[in-house]
Amino acid sequence: MPNLKEVRNRIVSVGSTMQITSAMKMVSAAKLKRAQDAITQMRPYANKLQEILQNVSSSLDTSENTYARTGTAKHILLVVISSNRGLAGGFNANVIKKAWSLIKNEYAGQSVSIITIGKKANDAFKRTDYNIHGTDLPHGLNEVFDNLTYTTVAPIAEKIMGTFVNKQFDKIVLVYNQFKNAAVQLVQAEQLLPVVATTTPGSTNATDYIFEPSKEFIISDLIPRSLKTQFYKALLDSYASEHGARMTAMHKATDNAKDMLRDLKISYNKARQTAITTEILEIVAGAEALNG
Amino acid sequence: MKLEIITPDKKLFEGHVKSATFPGAEGSFGVLNNHAAMIATLKNGIIELIEDNNTPHQFPVKGGVVEVYKNNVIVLAE
Repeated sequence: MPNLKEVRNRIVSVGSTMQITSAMKMVSAAKLKRAQDAITQMRPYANKLQEILQNVSSSLDTSENTYARTGTAKHILLVVISSNRGLAGGFNANVIKKAWSLIKNEYAGQSVSIITIGKKANDAFKRTDYNIHGTDLPHGLNEVFDNLTYTTVAPIAEKIMGTFVNKQFDKIVLVYNQFKNAAVQLVQAEQLLPVVATTTPGSTNATDYIFEPSKEFIISDLIPRSLKTQFYKALLDSYASEHGARMTAMHKATDNAKDMLRDLKISYNKARQTAITTEILEIVAGAEALNG
Repeated sequence: MKLEIITPDKKLFEGHVKSATFPGAEGSFGVLNNHAAMIATLKNGIIELIEDNNTPHQFPVKGGVVEVYKNNVIVLAE
């Protein structure tokens, strides 16, 4: 039979854990809402940009672009996006696992380097051979999630794109959690560079646009812009996924704590009842002994 | 004509305007009603608008692209 005091202590501790997990759930739900809003805000921009880009490039050969250089990819850069904090279920583990599987399988035998965004991915890779400490590359990017706006993200994206342009890397891949809904995150390995040509046939717009100053100039201006948007979207997705994952994890934890509390209460009451019964038995037995 | 200014973070402006002046990549240019279809890139500068009710607006931009199509002007700014 469990000791009364022990059970009481456990009830208190499970109760306060439950309070913490349910508070964390609330916080994540609020942050998730904001992150989702940011994604919705960005969508019209991204769509319109894509539309214009297609419009301009439909009649132009874009393969002769600094961002479309193909060939054997020898040096590969993985940008692994995780979160700064844990307690989000499999969120970080999945991203890190995916990055390792890319290194071991798809890019086995090629030189792979990693830039991490988020403390958890940084912790996972900082003591491996893959992490880069070069000063010319962005590092210590964990604060980006504190203030996630396009203005703070764009310079990072530019630097990463720069490594492709100056031929330090031949291929740049983003590894992140894509936001499907609050409960579902998909781990994605998305190629940022070289640019993957997205041609949607049938969307040939017959409008005669005036191009100012020239098609070529517009393309060279738009492609980096759309890459930056893609990078920003990956970060936003990851941020929303993080809070979705944490919300689900904390919801489950709260439910489990509730179950535990119920079981503990039952065993507490049982122990209390046993104690009372024993006490009465002892008194009755004592009285009987005196009478006899 | 209808004009929208969109940034990746939010919508800066939406409304009907009389005229708009943009900092084009090769010099500033203005857009009035019934302008021909056009796509132009912008450089660092200020977009100046005059609304239908004559209220002027100014928006500083770092760069972007403008699409003018059938009295619909969409500015993708940064």
